[in-house]
Amino acid sequence: MNIESIVATHWLSAVVNDVIILFKPALFNIYFALASIPLGFPLAIGLALMKNSRSRLWSSFAGGFIYAFRGSPLFIQLFMFYSIALAFNQTLWKPLGIDDFVLHPLFLGPFVLILNTSAYAAEIFYGAIRAVPKGQLEAARAVGMSRSQVFRSVTWPNMLRLAWPAYTNEVVFLFHATALVYFTLPVINEQKDLMNKAGELFEKDYNVFLHFSVAAGYFLLISILIFFLFGLVYKALNKHLQHLSDSTDGAGKMKFRPNYMR
Amino acid sequence: MEGLITSLSELTGTNLSYLFNGKHLAWYASVRFTILAAFFGAVLALLFGMLGASAKRSSFAPFRWFGSGYITMVRGVPDVLFFLFFPLAFEQFVEYLFSLNACTVAERASGKWPPCNAAQWYLSTSEYFVMACVSLGLVYGAFAANVIHGAMRAVPESQLEAARAYGFTKRQVYWHFQVRQMWIYALPGLSNVWMLLLKATALLSLLQIADIVQWAGKLGAANYFPAAGLVHGDWRWRYYIVLFLFYILLTFLSELFFRKLQKRASRGMALDQ
Repeated sequence: MNIESIVATHWLSAVVNDVIILFKPALFNIYFALASIPLGFPLAIGLALMKNSRSRLWSSFAGGFIYAFRGSPLFIQLFMFYSIALAFNQTLWKPLGIDDFVLHPLFLGPFVLILNTSAYAAEIFYGAIRAVPKGQLEAARAVGMSRSQVFRSVTWPNMLRLAWPAYTNEVVFLFHATALVYFTLPVINEQKDLMNKAGELFEKDYNVFLHFSVAAGYFLLISILIFFLFGLVYKALNKHLQHLSDSTDGAGKMKFRPNYMR
Repeated sequence: MEGLITSLSELTGTNLSYLFNGKHLAWYASVRFTILAAFFGAVLALLFGMLGASAKRSSFAPFRWFGSGYITMVRGVPDVLFFLFFPLAFEQFVEYLFSLNACTVAERASGKWPPCNAAQWYLSTSEYFVMACVSLGLVYGAFAANVIHGAMRAVPESQLEAARAYGFTKRQVYWHFQVRQMWIYALPGLSNVWMLLLKATALLSLLQIADIVQWAGKLGAANYFPAAGLVHGDWRWRYYIVLFLFYILLTFLSELFFRKLQKRASRGMALDQ
């Protein structure tokens, strides 16, 4: 039996086998993304509003935070926060009895990802706030709305609608960024993500094409799923504008044309 | 130098010579990997970007599919995956070529990798470095291809029509009008790609390159032996904060550079704004 026939008979079963093995690691990547979005989203909105605020102090604080986290690699940020957390271990976490929790990658990973993604998303939302139609804001003020009413009925819905395609793109980037967590934080037992497990499988049989392709397939599949789900939300956000455009090419339809910029 | 350091140390009351010992000098010198990888990565990314964009615009369908596939593929998968995959795949490809001559048929059929010891390719830092640059070029070339593709289409069609009307050949219209004017539309996007690429250079340590990140981890690790230098606990956090600030500084300098470049490139251009 020569190598070609072995490859031919086992090619598909090897792929299926890898898909099964890498399913659980994929859940870790999904966990990191899912744990980061619910806190990253409101934090990003808060930072965007802060950057837009008239107070010099608040806007420069938010601006500085956004600049720092967008201007440095996530890889360094993960290392930095992990080492800072370690430095406070003896003096702070241990006496409080929360050292296992604080230093656990399943806590620290999302913590850093939240800071990172909120900076990128805040810049997106900030841009969207600036792009809210001035006429609508003036009209809302003219009919005597209070500041919070203007925000709720004009700024918020417009901002969300304008920012959504870019925010979708940011969520996909965030999902891809989860691949970096276990390169920097300690791997505990079998808690491994896609890159980690693919690397481990590679070290057993040196089949780089098989294992990395299956891992890439998982990333691709989940990215497409994110585009699909966020596309549904975008549709809902634009429902009221449907009559403005012709029925075939509705404004609410998000095109599957991923933006390449983070 | 030695005298300057001691007098500065006395002046500030800190141990400045610690920051200028051999290991630290090696750390500062390792910045070259970051800068060179970013530079060569960017040059290759521009090259692959041009090729990718040209392929996507090609009138020959398979080229078009290849261009679109390249751009979409790299976008759907994390950069770190490509960054690790490409060097490993290339290494195996070369080892496969080695094995054709070096190994017997029986060894090649055994299914082991590498088939025999003679086919093993031992990579040095410089070879890893070249592959890291190519990986960066490939990944960010796809991003650049997308930017350039968009910029090509942003060049006003009337300009090209006018050029054709004056009797310029197809090639002249492409190079002297479309590509010449494309840059101004591509620059904001390309500056964005550069920022991404710059941040991705932090990953060099994953390819066994002793870059600033790897050195920071080594220098910051706790040292309890006076013979090995200053005795200190775990100082890694200090070193990573320095790297954090270093990358922010690089981003800031890049922004200044691209602002200047944008101004320069816009000279004499008929732009709307």
